[in-house]
Amino acid sequence: MTITKDICEKLSDNVIVKMSLTDIDYFLCLYNRYEIKLLRYIKRISGASDEQAKDILQESFIKIWQNLNNFNQRLKLSSWIYRIVHNETISCWRNNMSFGKDHQVQLDDNFIDNFFLDLELDEYKHQNEIHTHLILEQLPIKYKTVLVLRYMEEMSYNEISNVLKIPEGTVAARINRAKSNFIKIASINQFSF
Amino acid sequence: MKKTKSIIDKIKEENIKQKPKWYFVLSKILNLLTFIICMLIGSLSFSVILFSIQQTDFDLISHMSHSRIELFLSLLPFFWITVLLIFLFGAIFIFKKSERGYKYPLYQLVVLTTAISFLFGTLFFIGGGSHWLENVFAEKVNFYENIHEKKMIMWMRPEEGFLSGTIEKVSEDEMQLTDFSNKKWNVNYKDAYIHKIVFIKKGEKVKLIGNITQGNKFLAKEIRPWNGKKKQNRGRNRSNKNIGD
Repeated sequence: MTITKDICEKLSDNVIVKMSLTDIDYFLCLYNRYEIKLLRYIKRISGASDEQAKDILQESFIKIWQNLNNFNQRLKLSSWIYRIVHNETISCWRNNMSFGKDHQVQLDDNFIDNFFLDLELDEYKHQNEIHTHLILEQLPIKYKTVLVLRYMEEMSYNEISNVLKIPEGTVAARINRAKSNFIKIASINQFSF
Repeated sequence: MKKTKSIIDKIKEENIKQKPKWYFVLSKILNLLTFIICMLIGSLSFSVILFSIQQTDFDLISHMSHSRIELFLSLLPFFWITVLLIFLFGAIFIFKKSERGYKYPLYQLVVLTTAISFLFGTLFFIGGGSHWLENVFAEKVNFYENIHEKKMIMWMRPEEGFLSGTIEKVSEDEMQLTDFSNKKWNVNYKDAYIHKIVFIKKGEKVKLIGNITQGNKFLAKEIRPWNGKKKQNRGRNRSNKNIGD
């Protein structure tokens, strides 16, 4: 059976999960719904290339497929999916020294063009956003993650807590520390917002 | 759409199966059981620690001429404290890894698991479970130094005024006592403070505080029961002697 885009759009996340358990084609709906967001998230937290991000996403979706029976309906599906993708990204990031670790951010035009082209942010390509992303690249991954989830993925503390599997209080504390680090790096680099 | 197709194709081609529901249910049940077992062992350990505190007269350490810290450390039930800590950490770790465990801060889990093990440990202790467990370990585990052995460290120091053993013979003011190294002692207890639950009769195990007067002669100032010192404050002088055994 072919699942069209129209059919997918009418279904809620939880219904798609239920249908996917019996019909693998419904799993496409899930993939289509989250693909762009998740690719963007992977690249933001790991600095992975387009190809690497796609590989990570594919591995993540295989894990999502394998563990679909473990999805708890009390949790938002997006949080659960982000959690799996986050873990897979961190795992790849740790194993793969070619991106993320010791990554030097260059302030050349090519880098900036590629960065924002990937993120479909061309129209917002002004100084503040460039500085924001350059600072994020220099932050430790745990701080970068919470800032990305909070201010770019626009998640609540509860959702971040569910993605990272840490208490909400820890999320709040980590965001505060991340902000302090962000400000420090901004002042060192003499970026103003 | 090309990439999504390839994911579905990959799943189909490689015949990647979903893990069945029972696998996750079983895993959760096993985690729960492990948590309960950890809490149970933690509670039992705490009950034996309570038993040990009850049996060991820590209040006398200040009267010892021996190194107090060394003696205090030698009397602490390190084995059970270690077991308690290991299983409490185990329980916290398992709870943290559970479905909603990450929602709770570490300090809350530490307080919660400690409170539960203390509560159940106290109930085990009241129910006599700690005594039973201590005996089982003393009999079955070779390296285990039981509470009685630790107590003997404390109460086999006649030169420092601490003596213990079994009453062999009782007369008006004196009794004959065999200590745990089988040495015989003549104990004068004329002016001794005798705790309420002590019965001065043949076969009774007692602990004495006093001093050596000469050779194997000991002057007792206080007599305590070998097993704990409950209702200590309700003691009196010589009023419960069963003379003539």
